[in-house]
Amino acid sequence: MPNCRLIFLLVLAALISLLVTVPAAADGFYEDDLTIAFLPRSLGNPIFLDAFEAAQKKAYELGVTLEWVAPFDFDSDLQVEMIENLIRRGVDGIVASVNDEEAIHRVFQKAMANGIAVATFDADSPGSGRLFHIGINNYKAGVEIGTALVNVLKDKGMEGQELDTMIMTGFREALNLEERIRGFLDATADDLKINVVSILENDDTVEKSIILLEDYLKMNPEVDVIFFVGGWPFYVTSDALPNFRQWAQAGGIAVGIDLFYDALLLQREGLIQYLIGQDMTGMGAQGMELIVNYIRYGQVPPEFVETGLEHADESNLDMLLEIHKPWLVK
Amino acid sequence: MLSFERFWSKLAKKTEIHTIRTKLILSFLVIALIPLGIMAVFSYQTYYGSLTASVTEYAHEVVTGMGRDLDDYFSDLEMLLTREQDFYMDQLIKLVDGNDFNNRKYVFRIWEDLNNLHTVKPGLEEISLVFSNGNRFSNYGLYVLDFASFRQQFQANLQARGIAILGPHQNFLNRTVVTMVKPYESPGAETAVFMTADINLDRLAIITDIKLGTRGYVFVADKSGRIVYHPDAGRIGNTSRFYRTDLPGGFADGFTDYEHERFFLATAFSPVTGWTVVSVAYADEIGAQVAPIQRITFVVIALILVGVILLAVYLSHALSRPIKELQNLTKRAANHDLSVQIVPQGNDEIAMLGHSFNKMIARIQELMEENVREQKLLRKLEMESLDNQIKPHFIYNTLDLIIGQLESNQNEQASSLIEALGNFFRLSLSKGREIVPIASEVEHVRNYLFIQQLRHGKEYQYEVAVEQGILDKYIPRLLLQPLVENAIYHGILQANRQGKIKISGYQVESSEDIVFEIRDDGAGIEPDQLQDINEVLSGVRSLQHEREYFGLRNVNKRAKLMFGEEYGVVLQSELGRGTAAILRIKATREEPNV
Repeated sequence: MPNCRLIFLLVLAALISLLVTVPAAADGFYEDDLTIAFLPRSLGNPIFLDAFEAAQKKAYELGVTLEWVAPFDFDSDLQVEMIENLIRRGVDGIVASVNDEEAIHRVFQKAMANGIAVATFDADSPGSGRLFHIGINNYKAGVEIGTALVNVLKDKGMEGQELDTMIMTGFREALNLEERIRGFLDATADDLKINVVSILENDDTVEKSIILLEDYLKMNPEVDVIFFVGGWPFYVTSDALPNFRQWAQAGGIAVGIDLFYDALLLQREGLIQYLIGQDMTGMGAQGMELIVNYIRYGQVPPEFVETGLEHADESNLDMLLEIHKPWLVK
Repeated sequence: MLSFERFWSKLAKKTEIHTIRTKLILSFLVIALIPLGIMAVFSYQTYYGSLTASVTEYAHEVVTGMGRDLDDYFSDLEMLLTREQDFYMDQLIKLVDGNDFNNRKYVFRIWEDLNNLHTVKPGLEEISLVFSNGNRFSNYGLYVLDFASFRQQFQANLQARGIAILGPHQNFLNRTVVTMVKPYESPGAETAVFMTADINLDRLAIITDIKLGTRGYVFVADKSGRIVYHPDAGRIGNTSRFYRTDLPGGFADGFTDYEHERFFLATAFSPVTGWTVVSVAYADEIGAQVAPIQRITFVVIALILVGVILLAVYLSHALSRPIKELQNLTKRAANHDLSVQIVPQGNDEIAMLGHSFNKMIARIQELMEENVREQKLLRKLEMESLDNQIKPHFIYNTLDLIIGQLESNQNEQASSLIEALGNFFRLSLSKGREIVPIASEVEHVRNYLFIQQLRHGKEYQYEVAVEQGILDKYIPRLLLQPLVENAIYHGILQANRQGKIKISGYQVESSEDIVFEIRDDGAGIEPDQLQDINEVLSGVRSLQHEREYFGLRNVNKRAKLMFGEEYGVVLQSELGRGTAAILRIKATREEPNV
């Protein structure tokens, strides 16, 4: 009986402890009052919004303060300046999607020298000494989209012909984007006759990507294949992309990386043949958790945390449209 | 005092200050420089006053314009921050209040909106939405600020119309900004939300950018004198040294002194911000703007001065040269060089003076020559007169008379005669003097009359009645004797009867003239001859031969030469009753310089 009373008391204490601890965590009243700053490549690229929402939720859950700062448009120098000021303001952790891999080294090292935990998401800076990187294997993503293109063209019986290809990327200095291009070219090299006629840089902005795409197709409607290294122009409906729609309807083949609701709609309209998505939500949530755990508890994460890839083709398109929510940012 | 006078005298001599030329130069300079100096001072003062007024007006216009620009800029900002029922903002506020993080749609639109404003509005460093939990959604993303401090500053700077402008501080990117804050009224919002706009101080620098000399500047201060913007960033946040608590606006317009330096302040109040724009110009630099004009004035004055000096020298030289030449020629003339001649140039007074000088020299030459001629004539007449006296038969007869007296043992008479003859000759010669005392001449005549009386056997009597008062006056020698001789030989002896000769001398009343009358009661002269003689003596008639009336003419001529044409001899005569030779001379007390 005394044992039963003791067990009851222990269970009661544990319940009380749980009741006290969980709301405290949910309200963010941790004594350490950590501030974690995330730096996407730019605010104007909606692809990071999944990560933003996820990071907010995780920060609230972990009782830390989230700062989400970036230049609105792609600007490597301003990103460096922002990190300088995060160091000055004394944040506890920095998780950045790196714009300029080389330029970021100095400020990352300065931050780490100031006791700030530094990690990367989406776009890495491997030589900087950051704690970990969370994201996809960009080369692998490139290989998979390249392989998917091979299959699409084989199905259409076009694998034997020379294919003038346009590649749209954000910025040639972004390591993750370059890795995707490398993987794409490697995957198609054996089976297709890819002739890269143009690589367009849209400075990681949606508006510019749309203008570039439409202008390019107006001038070069004969191009056979377009590889979108990221999903910048996919945030608008097909009505906003008349030249692209006309080109696709005329037989143009488009594949791309980044998978979200609006992109899936374009795919359903037949403007895009294949999409591979990355788990931006996971990058936001898991990235936040990993760095907080490292700061709070010293839990050292693996240097590379892969968030995995998602494929969209005709077979799973309807299902994916039900899973992904519309962003409605445009 | 003496040494100064000596020094001044030496200096004056060295600089020839006494010369007309120097005086003319100095006069021209003074005449030219006084108005020039007055004009220069007046011009300078006028220009300086005008410049100061212009600078003052310009400075006020400039700062007023700056204050207006400041108002316009911040009014625009206020309009940007004035949102009414912005759907996206209202939705985001609700989500934040409810800790709902499915906010991407609103957050993205707000970021996009804020970034557009940031892009289109120059100087807008950051524009944001601030929540009471410290979250700040801005064009740079989302970060956290110290809300308590933020709110406190808002309250402290709150203006009547509900906005606040926070003074200079560092923003998220460590840039110095001022911040306009305006509350955002969101329906159903549980907590306060603010819109903020950070303005980079570079914008204030652009608004207040102006060159005020090399050191002047413009700064902006709030109502407590705290500097909001200053070109010297180190002063931002400090209270301005020009701020005065006793003034309503805090700053004095116009000239003010601070730490031994003079400044010119112009201020303009910005009602929108509550700030004062203050332009600070260094007074010495304002004055320095006059320097080019000053330099030009000095150069012009110097040029005019040089011109005036050259002109003065030229004019004085032109004016004084003929005078100098005249002076030199006069000196030469004074040194007996009467060959000098001026060549007059022009037709001015000096040229006329030159003509007159030449005439004068010519006249002097004429006078000199005439004088020489007269002197020669006078000598000649004297000699002739002397010759006339020392006639051999006069001497022989007199000597014979003396011998006869001696032989007849009239020794006493002979002695008197010898004495008289000696005196006669001695007085005739008079040691070669041209004029002699009247007493001496009268004595000479007495001797002559005495000798002649003895020679001619006392055929006549004589009387000498000369006023005592004229005896010490002078008379050309041998002037009376020829007249006495004429009275004896042509008057008394021609009548062949006992006669009398009376010699009287007197000074004419109220005159300097002395008259000698030699009267005889002898034969007299025919009226025609008398007229002829007087005409010859007065020069009415010219001579027919040299010896005509020789004695009379000699005396008459000498008197005229010595004293003038109005003097000389006139004869009065009545045939058979006698003749009077009236000699008029001028009384002289001393021996005339002839």
